[in-house]
Amino acid sequence: MIDFIGKKNIFIVVSLVLIVASLVSMFTRGFNYGVEFLGGSEIILKIEARVDEAYVRNLLQNLAPEFEKSRITQIKSVDDPANITKFSIVVSPKDENGNLRVYTGAEKAKIKEEIVARFKENGKVAYVAGFNETSGYAAQEIKNLTWKAILFTLLAILFYITIRFQFVFGVGAILALIHDVIITLGFFSFFNYELNVAAIAAVLTLIGYSLNDTIVVYDRIRENLRRQRGRSIDTLVNDSINQVIKRTINTSLTTFIVVFILLLFSGNSIKPFAFGMTVGVIVGTYSSLYIASPVVIKWIKK
Amino acid sequence: MRGDKTRAIISLIVIALAFVALLWPGGANYQGIGKLFSRIKLGLDISGGARIEYRVDIEQSVENPSEIVDDVWTVLRNRLDAAGYTEAIIKKTFREENSFIVVEIPGATDTAKAEQLIGSTGVLWFGQVVNEATSNPFTDPALVNEAKREKAQWLLDREGKKWYLVRQEIEKITNLKLVSPRIVEAMPVVDQNNVAGYVVSFTMAKEYAEIFKKITEKLYVPEEILNKGGISYQQALKKRLAIVLDNRVQFAGFVVAKITDGKAQIRGNFNLDEAKQLAAILRSGALPARLEKTSSGWVAPLLGADIVRTSLKAGIWGIGIVLVYMIIVYGVMGIVADIALLYNTFLLLGILAATGAILTLPGIAGIVLTIGTTVDGNIIIYERIKEELRRGSSIKAAIATAFSKSFWTLFDANLTTIIAGLFLYYFGTGTIKGFAITLIIGVIGSLFVNLVVTRVLIDSLSGGIKVKAPKEGGARA
Repeated sequence: MIDFIGKKNIFIVVSLVLIVASLVSMFTRGFNYGVEFLGGSEIILKIEARVDEAYVRNLLQNLAPEFEKSRITQIKSVDDPANITKFSIVVSPKDENGNLRVYTGAEKAKIKEEIVARFKENGKVAYVAGFNETSGYAAQEIKNLTWKAILFTLLAILFYITIRFQFVFGVGAILALIHDVIITLGFFSFFNYELNVAAIAAVLTLIGYSLNDTIVVYDRIRENLRRQRGRSIDTLVNDSINQVIKRTINTSLTTFIVVFILLLFSGNSIKPFAFGMTVGVIVGTYSSLYIASPVVIKWIKK
Repeated sequence: MRGDKTRAIISLIVIALAFVALLWPGGANYQGIGKLFSRIKLGLDISGGARIEYRVDIEQSVENPSEIVDDVWTVLRNRLDAAGYTEAIIKKTFREENSFIVVEIPGATDTAKAEQLIGSTGVLWFGQVVNEATSNPFTDPALVNEAKREKAQWLLDREGKKWYLVRQEIEKITNLKLVSPRIVEAMPVVDQNNVAGYVVSFTMAKEYAEIFKKITEKLYVPEEILNKGGISYQQALKKRLAIVLDNRVQFAGFVVAKITDGKAQIRGNFNLDEAKQLAAILRSGALPARLEKTSSGWVAPLLGADIVRTSLKAGIWGIGIVLVYMIIVYGVMGIVADIALLYNTFLLLGILAATGAILTLPGIAGIVLTIGTTVDGNIIIYERIKEELRRGSSIKAAIATAFSKSFWTLFDANLTTIIAGLFLYYFGTGTIKGFAITLIIGVIGSLFVNLVVTRVLIDSLSGGIKVKAPKEGGARA
């Protein structure tokens, strides 16, 4: 039997350290936001040769004023053929008043042609494999919706757990979820991983997933509470966690295998999702065992 | 075991229906194992194609905004059809009190052409030119103030060289304005007075002829004044008529005759191309509202296929490892879990095929995640069975108790995932909705599979379940 409750202070300290580190990273390093959050245009370029970012930048930087400050990153998957490199080029074109704008159809056509032509001059075959745009308005809207989605999901879950369990369980679950969300986002910031809409989907899924784990533990506590009056709450919670730990580990391990392989091999656009889930599964499992119950133990009513 | 018989029959019927939905004729033309997927609608991010989203800019005061959105839809449909984009799908969506129009063109490798077609879609209106400037008027406070005083706005002309101060309400008379008139005919005609030049003649729909008549009465300037010059000419300069589209002044000129029947000519010393272009703008059916491009994107079919191949491969590898893992850890029950997993995957695909829900790339991730929830449900049940067995129950009793005790655990755990999925669907944009759909269907499916299908299999295989002797510490109380 593992002593979860006796050592709870150690784990609370570990979690606090991780949370503080995450918050510091978020506020100092910030996020590598995807184009949906920033607004602007993302060009996906596929080149039939091995070249690096500097080469692409050098070739394109005087294409239009916004290309000087473009963000160029190479996109990689484990499975990619050796003779092909892919890049994501993010630019933020501005209008005469300095506001973010989107390209007109004609401008897009021209930029595409020009890019292909410049590579051709240098003896390389390149083509534009994607051209995604998000206006400033849409970026703002997506940001708003994302915050609302996270907030309302948390509230709905608090409400649901309060009805099905006790309010204090709801608080414990929400604390664990906020813990998971902050640390997962911290990982995005720390590793400079692209935070896009798919990554946010991962965060929301993680909320559901981590909660799933937490509820299994709570459910067992609830069941034991009915049966085993008279025992100290500490032992009862500790026993409950131990009774479900095999299930938690097996479930987490199987989910982890799937999302980790997805992270290694998946195409670029769902990589941030897979990254968020991979980190989230670990953090979520940890918080379900070490945080969700131990922190609220004092207030659980028998 | 009457319950089991019912469960077995339901399980078989459900999976049979799923395969019927998958294999029903009429899907895409795939070969081999791909046939299983031929009826599933693929999102543009997988199949390749273009997607452009516009926000419909409707004024707050408008009484019936949904009617305007309908009109925008009709105009775009006509335009895209006329240009040969018959396969394009135009959808109306609403978010947060805003209306959006989404144009999806499957298989398109480029949005540029379609965007050009839709792009010049600002509102068409007729206004009065009050002043003009050759440099940016926003840098001159006097000119900015003049715009405020005149209740007019500074707009660039089509070439982007000259600025005009234009007012919608002619001579500041309330409601004397002409916005989004329907123009039934517009064409370039050789100018009778000028051998080399062209004029554009157009006819306004009947319902707009009356107001157009009033406007031309107010702005009418006799030709002799134009020829004479002097003070009266200076005054006449403030009575020019402007045709504005997309917030650009397409034309500004004098009204030299009152027009009573809605038939008019625009004279501007045009060459044939210019005249043709202006006629096309007038004719193309002005949109009743301004469209603001909020996002656009396209995925080359090739790129889409690449990503799907690698993602599917990753998914299959993941499933494979999980299948093996479950057998190693749970033995016979592991095989049951594996069957449950495959069952739920095909059920999910069948539901996608039957409902016509669209499978997007994040949707594939949703399927992969469903593996997690299905396996999880089975593990919860198995651990319970083992626990009951350790307590000394018979295998049949252990199974029955485990299922009844696991029900609420599974219900609570999965319902919260569904709650997260519903919010994701409601607030999500674009392909994320596809993820939410597969997640919700998958979780509901896994609940069914865990409680019904797994039950049948476990019961029938109960003879093969081996229980390890209790470890040190003995059975738990």
